[in-house]
Amino acid sequence: MRDDSKKWDAPGAPTTLEMSDGLTITPVQLARQTLLSGVDVLGRTQHPIAAWSGVVTAQTYALSLRRDRVLLVNGPALADGWHGDIAQAVSDVSDCYSVFDIRGDRAFSVLKRGAELRLDVPSKSVARLLFGLGVFLYRFEATDTFRVHVFRGQAETFFKSLKFAFPSL
Amino acid sequence: MTSHRTDRAGLIDRTQPRNFTFDGKAYRGFEGDTLASALLANGVRVMGRSFKYHRPRGPWGAWVDDPNAIMTVTLDGRSFPNCPAATTPLVEDMQARAVNAWPSAAFDIKAGLDLFHRWLGAGFYYKTFMWPDWHLFEPMIRKMAGLGDISRDAPKNYTADQVHDHCEVLVIGGGAAGLACARAAAEAGRGVVLVDDHPIFGGGLHQSVQIEDRTPSEWIADQLAAIMGAGGRVLPTTTAFGVYDHGLVGLAEYGAFGTAPHLHRMRADRIVLATGALDRPVTFAGNDRPGVMAVDAACEYLARYGVLVGRRIALASNNSLADAAEAMLTQAGAKITRISPQDGAIRALGGKQLKGLAQGLRRHEVDTVLASGGLTPLVHLWRHAGGKLDWCAARQAFLPGAAPDGMVAIGAANGTFDLDQALSEARAIGAGNASDAAARTYSLTPLWPEPGDKGRQWIDFQHDVTLKDVELAARENYVSVEHLKRYTTLGMASDQGKTSNMAGLAAMAAIQDRPLPEVGTTTFRPPFVPVPFEMYHGHHGKQLWHPLKRLALEPQHRAAGAALGEYGGWLRPGWYGTGNRGDLIRREVLSARNAAGIFDASPLGKIEVMGPDAEDFVNFIYYNTIRTLKPGNIRYGFMLTEGGIVMDDGVIARLTENRFVISCSSGHVDSVREHLEAWRQDGNNPDRIFIHDLTQQWSTVTITGPKARDILAKLPLGLDLSAQAFPHMTVQETQREETPIRIARVSFTGDISYEISIRSSRASDLWDKVVAAGEPHGATPIGIEALSILRAEKGYIMVGKDTDGETMPHDLGITIPRLKKKPAYIGDRSLHSDKANLPDRKALVGLAVGDGDKVLPTGAHIVDGTLSRSLGYVTSSYDSPTLGHPVALGLLENGSARTGEIVSVWHMGETRQATVCAACFFDPEGERLHA
Repeated sequence: MRDDSKKWDAPGAPTTLEMSDGLTITPVQLARQTLLSGVDVLGRTQHPIAAWSGVVTAQTYALSLRRDRVLLVNGPALADGWHGDIAQAVSDVSDCYSVFDIRGDRAFSVLKRGAELRLDVPSKSVARLLFGLGVFLYRFEATDTFRVHVFRGQAETFFKSLKFAFPSL
Repeated sequence: MTSHRTDRAGLIDRTQPRNFTFDGKAYRGFEGDTLASALLANGVRVMGRSFKYHRPRGPWGAWVDDPNAIMTVTLDGRSFPNCPAATTPLVEDMQARAVNAWPSAAFDIKAGLDLFHRWLGAGFYYKTFMWPDWHLFEPMIRKMAGLGDISRDAPKNYTADQVHDHCEVLVIGGGAAGLACARAAAEAGRGVVLVDDHPIFGGGLHQSVQIEDRTPSEWIADQLAAIMGAGGRVLPTTTAFGVYDHGLVGLAEYGAFGTAPHLHRMRADRIVLATGALDRPVTFAGNDRPGVMAVDAACEYLARYGVLVGRRIALASNNSLADAAEAMLTQAGAKITRISPQDGAIRALGGKQLKGLAQGLRRHEVDTVLASGGLTPLVHLWRHAGGKLDWCAARQAFLPGAAPDGMVAIGAANGTFDLDQALSEARAIGAGNASDAAARTYSLTPLWPEPGDKGRQWIDFQHDVTLKDVELAARENYVSVEHLKRYTTLGMASDQGKTSNMAGLAAMAAIQDRPLPEVGTTTFRPPFVPVPFEMYHGHHGKQLWHPLKRLALEPQHRAAGAALGEYGGWLRPGWYGTGNRGDLIRREVLSARNAAGIFDASPLGKIEVMGPDAEDFVNFIYYNTIRTLKPGNIRYGFMLTEGGIVMDDGVIARLTENRFVISCSSGHVDSVREHLEAWRQDGNNPDRIFIHDLTQQWSTVTITGPKARDILAKLPLGLDLSAQAFPHMTVQETQREETPIRIARVSFTGDISYEISIRSSRASDLWDKVVAAGEPHGATPIGIEALSILRAEKGYIMVGKDTDGETMPHDLGITIPRLKKKPAYIGDRSLHSDKANLPDRKALVGLAVGDGDKVLPTGAHIVDGTLSRSLGYVTSSYDSPTLGHPVALGLLENGSARTGEIVSVWHMGETRQATVCAACFFDPEGERLHA
């Protein structure tokens, strides 16, 4: 096996990246991310549900991932494991996903470098393949702000992909 | 003014001259020229050489249908091979050189090959280079093959942008029909995108004097303004090079020369094909001479570039469109002689310079021959999408037939060659209405190659396929068009059948005396025109080419001097420190055996299975019985495919009654997760089983070695770590500073080990504390290379390395579940098949070598005494620092019954001896494991 250390940039501490045209990529620190799975978990959640391509304005909300799974953002602390009383599996995934906000008039153009996205076609799930990476993508607080949850181990790749996509605009 | 440039016509900007060279000689053209038009304007006709015979070639077409003028173009020190001169825009200071010619296209040293053409017919290389050995000829053939040479230096900043896009209606082709259709669709409120590969829209319209009472330029500008005014988008210099599934169209948008085209992955609800039609060549003797050109090409060179390709022109056409061409060229000052090729065989006269045209005894003194054997609709994209073709006897052409979903053809691409009809059809389709079939004025007399005609008659100009080659292929029974194509190379490379296909098919039909539609067409595949690889490549380069997952602890590893490499899709430490790699790894192994090794095991799977049916589910997933596992305990097990093959091994921990954690191999996490999800929904109740992949939520630091317990004890975890309270294969959960910590006593080295898992954001703190606690004991970080040796010493396998695509669990010595497990599990039935019970199955063994012997090579074959058959192979082999001698694992036929047997191990011509032994070299009693 070779020593490929120099072929890979050392990961840097996440910082806001300000690009031209007012486009910014900002790492987001969420209080908590909790994965909930169960029958009709979507219908049973008390929090606003984020789906594509609506704009989430609440600070606590549930990302609709699939019919039996949501990602609760900034929700209350829940014990990991099977909750028989509510028939839901609960896992804290706060460290599983890195989160970025991509903001600016050109934000959607940048994202379209990585996936076939259409604002006019709604979807109940925010799960997407973006730049080849499985992510959760939705609009947060404003129509020109897109929030992305990406696996922690792939955050570096995602950030690089965004930086690569932007100069091509 | 140059000899072939007219005073007025054309769309070029005559106020902006452009200087360039071709084969070392300086020329001048204008902004808006292509390389081909500028050279023609300068009187240059020989722009290339054919592939096989190195015959001189001039342009046949004026755009993508020209197979002849192919050049290597250098600009600003960067070279781009295989640029079609007819589509390459002229840029100041361009240096062009013909490919496949040296020193120049006009004088090519290999032109003498043409003298040997009788011996170089189709497939000659299959027959000629058989003796004594093909490899003798191969280097020379390879050197001669191909067209332009690729530069060894990758051009800098040559990067393709790639974007996904969508539209309601994509109109491909910006000629009259395309423009009219796009306008009608846009004005009907549809989201329209109109693309055309020319920089200036209009297609062949520029050849017209007027259209709907306006000049072509005015009419085109009106259409474009209306399209954009209605919200449509127009993309000039954009080629639709392929149509893929579900309405996906690949669009290559070209910018300045020397920049990579942009790739648009356009998803269209509806695709309108307005790609036009091409003149097909007439097959006659010497029809490949420079100066023989398509009728439409001559009109395009005049209309777009102001180039009159000849002064004395023979016009050999079989169709009614020749009248307009004659009028246009006569108006520009050419003397036209009409020839009816169907009245008798014609023959081009001259060599590099065309001297005339003969028909029977009559000789015409002309400098140019314009030929058209009828129009061939451009249906490549139609066929990409799976559309059918129907033969039209009246037009003597294949036309779009049964349409693929969401696609429609209009205009000349649909066989509607008359302008008024095409406009009417386009507007109807654009507005979403049905098109009325109107009267047709286009007419032609069938004109196809006639087998047996004298002289060398070219079917494929680029690859030197002649009528005689097609006849030869037919004699040798390559009568299917697909076989014909491959045997003769007809329609290959950049031509892709645009000019050569119909003539080749017609020749084969005539030879076999079959109707042409019965012969059929070859398969059209993307790309329609050559596009740079870079366009497909886009941002997937360097670190974004197969990007690796990154560890939360990477900064700590880098600070410790780790050598990082790819292991199972992650960038992980192979070893630590600088110096001799072998020495460093050896030191790590000894540190782990004598004190402790500290290892980042974060990529190990941490997939949780929860729910009321979780127990039954994992019992079904695993080969081993999991149902009896008590909370707080861990069990080693295999996951099998339905075929009974080992797909993963690892441990499973039961945290509570309804909660399990599967710790699969690092490189198998994604596939195991998908395996679990698939089986959850198939044969199980998905409402009672839920799977969460938490691999990246948790990071894991492993302490392994005799001092592991002492080191762990220094962390204030509040746990009783004694062997009685915390035995091997158990798990405990605790908290530190409100952070949950999970500690599994499980080992992949054969020594006492603890895997400490913590949420990833706190992993660095844990790592630092463990390293600090281990330092007084002599513990050091260890990488994967050391771990691989440690596990091999103990005989622990790596699935995929020590197993292959046939390995079943009993081949690895785990036999009891196969014999006794009652509940169903994945792979059960396959483990009882005849094949599973064969006595000579390859089984895991250890291989020992004599004192002082070298390490056995991994992959070396274990062979029988006569070296005639492989009995197995070495899967893992290392020089064990712990034991002071090599250790090896292998798969060997009937291996479990061969213990003590001496076997031959063969590798790269060398044969050595090894003794079959148990696959465990270190602590076989497990005292250290359970300490």
